[in-house]
Amino acid sequence: MMKTFKQLALASTMLAVAGTAAFAAEIKVGSVAGVTGPIAELVVPIVAGRQLAADQINAAGGLLNGDTLTMVLADSQCDPKAGVDAGTKVVNVEQVVAIVGASCSGATNGMVQSVTIPAGVVAISDSATAPSITDLDDNDLVFRVAASDAYQGSALAQLAWNNGYRTLAMTYANDDYNAGLAGVFEVSFKALGGTITANQMHEPNKASYRSELSTLSGNGAEGLAIFAYYGGSGIAIMRNSLEAGLFEKFLAADGMFDQSVIDQIGADVLRENIMITQAASDYDDPSYLAFANAFEATGHSPQAPYAAHGYDATFLIALAIEKAGSTDRAAISAALREVANPPGVVIRPGEWAKAKAALAAGQDVNYEGAVGQNDFDDNGDVTGLFSVNVVGTDGKWTGDLIR
Amino acid sequence: MIDFINFYLIPGIVLGSIYALGAIGITLTFGILRFANFAHGEMMTLGAYLTLTMMWLTGWHPLVLLPVAMVLLALVAVGVDQVFYRPFRNSPAVVVVIASFGLMLMIRSVTQFSWGAQLQAFVPGIQRPTIFFDVLRLQPKHIIIITSAIVLMGIVHYLLTHTRIGKAMRAMSDSPELARLTGIDTELVIKATWILGAATAAAAGVFLAFDSHVSTMMGFQILLPTFAAAIVGGIGRPYGAMAGGLLIGITEELSSYPWIGDVPLLSPGYKAGVSFAIMVAVLIWRPSGLFRGRVF
Repeated sequence: MMKTFKQLALASTMLAVAGTAAFAAEIKVGSVAGVTGPIAELVVPIVAGRQLAADQINAAGGLLNGDTLTMVLADSQCDPKAGVDAGTKVVNVEQVVAIVGASCSGATNGMVQSVTIPAGVVAISDSATAPSITDLDDNDLVFRVAASDAYQGSALAQLAWNNGYRTLAMTYANDDYNAGLAGVFEVSFKALGGTITANQMHEPNKASYRSELSTLSGNGAEGLAIFAYYGGSGIAIMRNSLEAGLFEKFLAADGMFDQSVIDQIGADVLRENIMITQAASDYDDPSYLAFANAFEATGHSPQAPYAAHGYDATFLIALAIEKAGSTDRAAISAALREVANPPGVVIRPGEWAKAKAALAAGQDVNYEGAVGQNDFDDNGDVTGLFSVNVVGTDGKWTGDLIR
Repeated sequence: MIDFINFYLIPGIVLGSIYALGAIGITLTFGILRFANFAHGEMMTLGAYLTLTMMWLTGWHPLVLLPVAMVLLALVAVGVDQVFYRPFRNSPAVVVVIASFGLMLMIRSVTQFSWGAQLQAFVPGIQRPTIFFDVLRLQPKHIIIITSAIVLMGIVHYLLTHTRIGKAMRAMSDSPELARLTGIDTELVIKATWILGAATAAAAGVFLAFDSHVSTMMGFQILLPTFAAAIVGGIGRPYGAMAGGLLIGITEELSSYPWIGDVPLLSPGYKAGVSFAIMVAVLIWRPSGLFRGRVF
């Protein structure tokens, strides 16, 4: 009797072992994004971009031994505290092998410092742009495919100068992204010879900004540079200043790039009166086109802010897992730079089968993503391109690449 | 001087009116049901969304739809009380506070699920102010908000002083045991409290949305200053809540006026702290609040 039991146990163990070998496992990657909060609309295409990459990879053979790449979505609410919660959930509960996200700089800073760096999990943000993320002491675990605002801030300042602005007032929301961006902008605009007549921090999510705006307009300025998330305080500030007749012209960065700005304020009021910079791709680049065609088929605009970045970040994680040959967290982070940077076989968006074959043959790969080269420097940063966006005749944003 | 009135005092009164309406509900639940209702902010949000939905359906002005929203929200509040708070009626206050916190998250999730997390507006576009005497800039919506708030506060005052149920509410707020001994139907008073609290919350939410926009976090974002207003006014004192709301709203805006020289007295980034500074000061020097409310 005892013998039969032992045999049975042995047989079932063997079955279990055989099972793992024969049936594809699931490999979880955290997808941390501000699903709710001040940039809720912007996050929808970003998450769709991440999912597109995962879907394409799963359709073209999956990871490692045909394992499925599953994106585990967690809501970071664009808030440092919620970012920590979301990071804790995916790292400790879901046991993800790596993370794409978080969306906002504040949430990313919170998540990586409190959760992912201590846990040794690599995180690639697709949209955190604060300069402060560059200098994090991160054991090479924090990367991003979105260019630092050290670039965007000076691009916006140059744009303002080229369009004839000489005196500007500026206000920024009290968070990592907006404060960092405002700091770069102020220095760059002054270096060009411009004057900042007033510069004030404001607290997001207040019902009214009339007193702030009154103070800002005191010294006279040609326009107002707003560094805020559109849903946090950006729209409220524009509405208050237009209604009170304090400022008519605005400059802003990608945190304000959403259709709801036009819908809420009105296209006619804003036309000719607002310029927004945002991270952009070279729209003629074959890598971008490969992504754009596939993404358009999912019903989203490929020019949606950071959607292409979401795709690239996910694709890079997948390449790193494949290169590492395992789901070991440390091996994945070590492999990331190798698959992103030259030398190697050039891999473009959608070319998962090609990448898998090259890696299986022991070759190096170099991912050239939808947003550009995606070559990480020592800080895990990339350079990037920007576009300037104005309100078009159809009441939508229209963008031009700044060369 | 005219800038002071246009850009600091009037916005302060508008904000204060909204805080005051919100604080009435908080102070009543605090005084009569004996707990801090964290879900009150979400009730304001829900009121705004109900109005927004009716605007989509009918195309009427939010002010016309406000009474309907008040009734609907009152029904929600009474229903929530029956299924959610009633089992906790004899529990310690802290249990009920935590329950209200849970309810807050539930209402917010339902709102986000039903209406989406994106910003909406009652009326898209901007509204230019009407200019009186060449210098005084008044926006029509601000006149509407301030006038309606005054009317609503008048109605609350009448209900509390001239009706049986209003007097019963005040009695219960003063001393629940005595009120019960004199034969006041406590369950009825509790229902009336929820109805009055929900109606004023709906008004606060609608006015806030009317002034800015509708978002799922709007009520929560003004919840803390509203709590401060209720405490400053004195817990369980509806008049205190009105005064406290106006006081906090106006002081918040005036704190960044350049009283000395050209720079704001206090950076507007710290406006949110002003309401708490007032609250702390009141708690130190007059713990019962301006209108001698309950002390816990």
